[in-house]
Amino acid sequence: MSDKARGWLSENGALVALVVLAVALSLLSSDFLSVSNLLNVGVQAAVTAILAFGATFVIITGGIDLSVGSVAALSAITLAYLSTTSGLPWPLATLLGLAVGVACGLANAALIAYGKLPPFIATLAMLGIARGLALVISEGSPIAMPDAVSHVGDTVAGYLPVPVLVMLVMGVIAAVILNRTYAGRAMYAIGGNEEAARLSGIKVNRMKLVTYALSGGFAAVAGIVLASRLASAQPQAAAGYELDAIAAVVIGGASLSGGKGRAFGTFVGALILAVLRNGLNLLSVSAFWQQVVIGVVIALAVLVDTLRRRSAN
Amino acid sequence: MSQEILRVEGLRKRFPGVLALDGVDLALRTGEVHVLLGENGAGKSTLIKMLSGAYHPDEGRILLDGRPVDIRTAGDAQRLGIATIYQEFNLVPDLTVGENLSLGRPPRRFGFVDVKAMHDKARELLDRVGLDVDPRTRIGALGIARMQMVEIAKALALDARVLIMDEPTAVLTTSEVDRLFAIVRQLRDNGVAVVFITHHLEEIAQIGDTVTVLRDGRSVAEVPADTPQDELVRLMVGRPIDQQYPREAEPPGRPLLKVEGLTRRGAFEDVSFEVRAGEVVGLAGLVGAGRTELARAIFGADRYDEGEVTVGDRRLPRGDIDAAMEAGLGLVPEDRKGQGLVLGADIAENLGLVTLGRASRAGFVDRTGQRKAAAKVAAQLGVRMSGLEQEVRTLSGGNQQKVVIGKWLLADVRVLVLDEPTRGIDVGAKVEIYQLINSLTASGDAVLMISSDLPEVIGMSDRVLVMARGRLVGELPADEATQDAVMALAVTEVEGTRVR
Amino acid sequence: MKLGIIAAGAALALGLAACGSGGSSGSGGSTPAGGSGDIKIGMSISTLNNPYFVQLRAGAEEEAKKLGVALTVTDAQNDASQQVNQVQNFTSQNMKAIVINPVDSDAAAPAVKAADRVSVPVIAADRGVNGAEVAQTVASDNVAGGKLAAQELAKQMGEKGKVVVLQGVPGTSASRDRGQGFTEGIKAYPNIQVVAQQPADFDRTKGLDVMTNLLQSHPDITGVFAENDEMALGAIKALGAKAGAEVKVVGFDGTPDGLKAIQAGTLAASIAQQPKLLGQQAVGNAVKAAKGESLQKVVAVPVKVATKDNLSEFTS
Repeated sequence: MSDKARGWLSENGALVALVVLAVALSLLSSDFLSVSNLLNVGVQAAVTAILAFGATFVIITGGIDLSVGSVAALSAITLAYLSTTSGLPWPLATLLGLAVGVACGLANAALIAYGKLPPFIATLAMLGIARGLALVISEGSPIAMPDAVSHVGDTVAGYLPVPVLVMLVMGVIAAVILNRTYAGRAMYAIGGNEEAARLSGIKVNRMKLVTYALSGGFAAVAGIVLASRLASAQPQAAAGYELDAIAAVVIGGASLSGGKGRAFGTFVGALILAVLRNGLNLLSVSAFWQQVVIGVVIALAVLVDTLRRRSAN
Repeated sequence: MSQEILRVEGLRKRFPGVLALDGVDLALRTGEVHVLLGENGAGKSTLIKMLSGAYHPDEGRILLDGRPVDIRTAGDAQRLGIATIYQEFNLVPDLTVGENLSLGRPPRRFGFVDVKAMHDKARELLDRVGLDVDPRTRIGALGIARMQMVEIAKALALDARVLIMDEPTAVLTTSEVDRLFAIVRQLRDNGVAVVFITHHLEEIAQIGDTVTVLRDGRSVAEVPADTPQDELVRLMVGRPIDQQYPREAEPPGRPLLKVEGLTRRGAFEDVSFEVRAGEVVGLAGLVGAGRTELARAIFGADRYDEGEVTVGDRRLPRGDIDAAMEAGLGLVPEDRKGQGLVLGADIAENLGLVTLGRASRAGFVDRTGQRKAAAKVAAQLGVRMSGLEQEVRTLSGGNQQKVVIGKWLLADVRVLVLDEPTRGIDVGAKVEIYQLINSLTASGDAVLMISSDLPEVIGMSDRVLVMARGRLVGELPADEATQDAVMALAVTEVEGTRVR
Repeated sequence: MKLGIIAAGAALALGLAACGSGGSSGSGGSTPAGGSGDIKIGMSISTLNNPYFVQLRAGAEEEAKKLGVALTVTDAQNDASQQVNQVQNFTSQNMKAIVINPVDSDAAAPAVKAADRVSVPVIAADRGVNGAEVAQTVASDNVAGGKLAAQELAKQMGEKGKVVVLQGVPGTSASRDRGQGFTEGIKAYPNIQVVAQQPADFDRTKGLDVMTNLLQSHPDITGVFAENDEMALGAIKALGAKAGAEVKVVGFDGTPDGLKAIQAGTLAASIAQQPKLLGQQAVGNAVKAAKGESLQKVVAVPVKVATKDNLSEFTS
């Protein structure tokens, strides 16, 4: 194998894992490899992927955001409440729903950057606060989403699901931010060596605000997509999704110690999780075994990637 | 009297993109101190990592007592009696000295750790290296020199027959070095074969018996330790170096950096000086004299209590790196890996770090422009690399330091503060960095250089400032600065100081 | 100084929480003067993160108001150990009776024992308690409900065709009992075949995803049994226009959203538990227990099949 090919493989270990998984599933189930099923996988990956794109920013800086699932629910509930219950025009309600997500992210960042709380603790607190507020606002019951926004959960031209489009757009935005902007490059530097970044004049605290605000904003988008698919915002939606998001980011080749990670890798990581869940349904694997299989695949995907990197060094 | 214990033949090791070792031979005898000499990147680290089981050779063999051995893990090396003391110590800071000395195999009684036996054993080992500390002391509470003694004691605990020491003197003071040498000699006389790596040429004749010189992954010569330094340098670099300190002084211009009455309680007090355009001002003193703290405060990385810093005509606000950079100040920190570089990022990324903000428009970075600039400066500095996308982690120390300096060159600094700019860097790369300093001052910039390497401070500075216990205690022009004169000032007792 | 700020913040947060919860649980202050005026009842609910239990609470509060007793409701947030703490707190607050809606039937035993020690009667609501003596268990019969679901689904499918089952959180008693009842019930119809049983964790989104996936491997199904309405609603979303037409979906719980779907014709039926009635009976009997009256050991709150025909009974 040439050095170049080996280099490509070590960068894209997750993609290899995805292909292997897809080939295995198409051999095991004749229903897997059809356009409609693959689009289903895309739709089912969308919410996790969007959350995970946001988490990618945070993980690249060496942080962690446990609050994304709760923030997603809070944003969607806020939107639905303002629009359906309070009668605000839907564009304004949507904007405010997104703003709530960003605000939660800023609150996280303020605690981390200025309050010097470890990200794990700050976002753990937000996990509870955002979920609680979602329950307070909704009084524990689902709220119908405005019809105009619910189209986000539909398909266009009869077959192309909007959640997939939203996922792709958010993915491109994430990639552009990471590769082309000051904030993105600063995130890598901060995650790689925060002190070196600071001594090189990078505004570390301000960049943390940007990072967590982006994570909150992406969570809000994910929450709105999720609620649109059901046409209903649910206070308990997306509970536990933060762990899926983190898993997707790590499967995609990011390092929890910071400095490494790519939007494309995260995308592949989210697809792996969705393909796996889809495949387990198609194969009618029993409820108890599904959790075992998912856990094993997560461990394997990261393990293979780690070993590959180690052998490349 | 001495017989061969370890022999290395034709070792080769390839990493992706680099041939790290390209045929190394080494013969080690009992009761000798064998110095490994070579520039950074010559293959010394790779070689010792193979002897200690961290890497496995692609080709060649290692013979111990004449029998080929296969060293796959650190455990293998231990069993064979090969102990290695790396620059980054292998100690657990939160455990005690005694626990560290019996790490992994504590003496046991009825399934419990036998604390008394553990401490007795530790005390005996510590006696052998002449270290007088209580085995119950936490490692983290020891200074670097004493930690190193504990490392040596640990090697003794393993009954090491071959002891490899990677730059053990790099972090020690003169008196500590003397102590270390005494212990090494004692070990040697007891029949231990010592492999000793150092960049300090003057140490070779003091401690060494034989020298093997590595260059570009090959062993190029085995010579006696009393070989003249010039000859050693020639072997190491492959060409003669005319001048170790090629300072070309310029007539100084107007003051660029002015520091007045700067005080941070507990670190430094009432420090005033100025650095003029075209000048290199050296800042000498003992470790702990407050030089690094002063440099960080000037740059805005830390706050200070009183005084002011002016760059050009601009008075800098306290603790504001942004303003300092804006005014044209740059800092090359003392801890290259911990504070200077993003080790996991590539060369281009690191070189572009300081200019990231300047290369951004509406938040978007001009990455093509950044890359071009990085390529230019990397070529100008002569960074030895496989390409701009090489991770800086894999560069040698000298090349890493060039990258740290390079990022400031890209930012057009007017005053560059260098904190220990050549620590752990080999002779050839040192001279290149000195030439960089020359070219900075030639174009009218100013340099403030902190260094604990006395010949360097004296050889490269136009003026030498000396700090002791947080205060500036003297200033010597280049022609009056001798090692004795600087040291005399550096050990000055300062009256009435609050600094400890 | 720092401590002061933290204390102030904590006080503020508690104050806010107290205001927020005042409307829902605090009939404490405004007890009407009546025979039961000095009776205090504590109620620990497994989770309020689910409309079903929110209704259970509503029924309980209605009943408390009617009888003029002070009712304090706490949310155990699906955490069994938190629930134990809450029940212990009730005993030290001199509650005359306690209603527990167990997070976990086994893990609730220590809490009940603690109450027994100080002779405070405990009523188990919705789920039973294993390993400790309660004064009464008020619950709907999930196994019977599962059987009813099988019968209703079979009827609407014309007693033939293929069925998939969406299961709840693996290992929970509700999922076990409903699934068991359904499996037993559907055996009576030899022409109906259960082609897949997959977990969707009682969650609407997962119901949507899992149903979408199952439609790939089993495009020809004509019936779906979901072990709760949330999953049924997700499945209906996945089925699109097929829901209510070619494919009949039967849910469980009779939640407001579920009833709306029955009205719309997309949900064929839901096995309606009557959480409000359940809450009312639990509190009513708790008051009786507090007054020292003797109670029967088990009250089975009936489950009912809600269909379009009898919908008005449930939407009152």
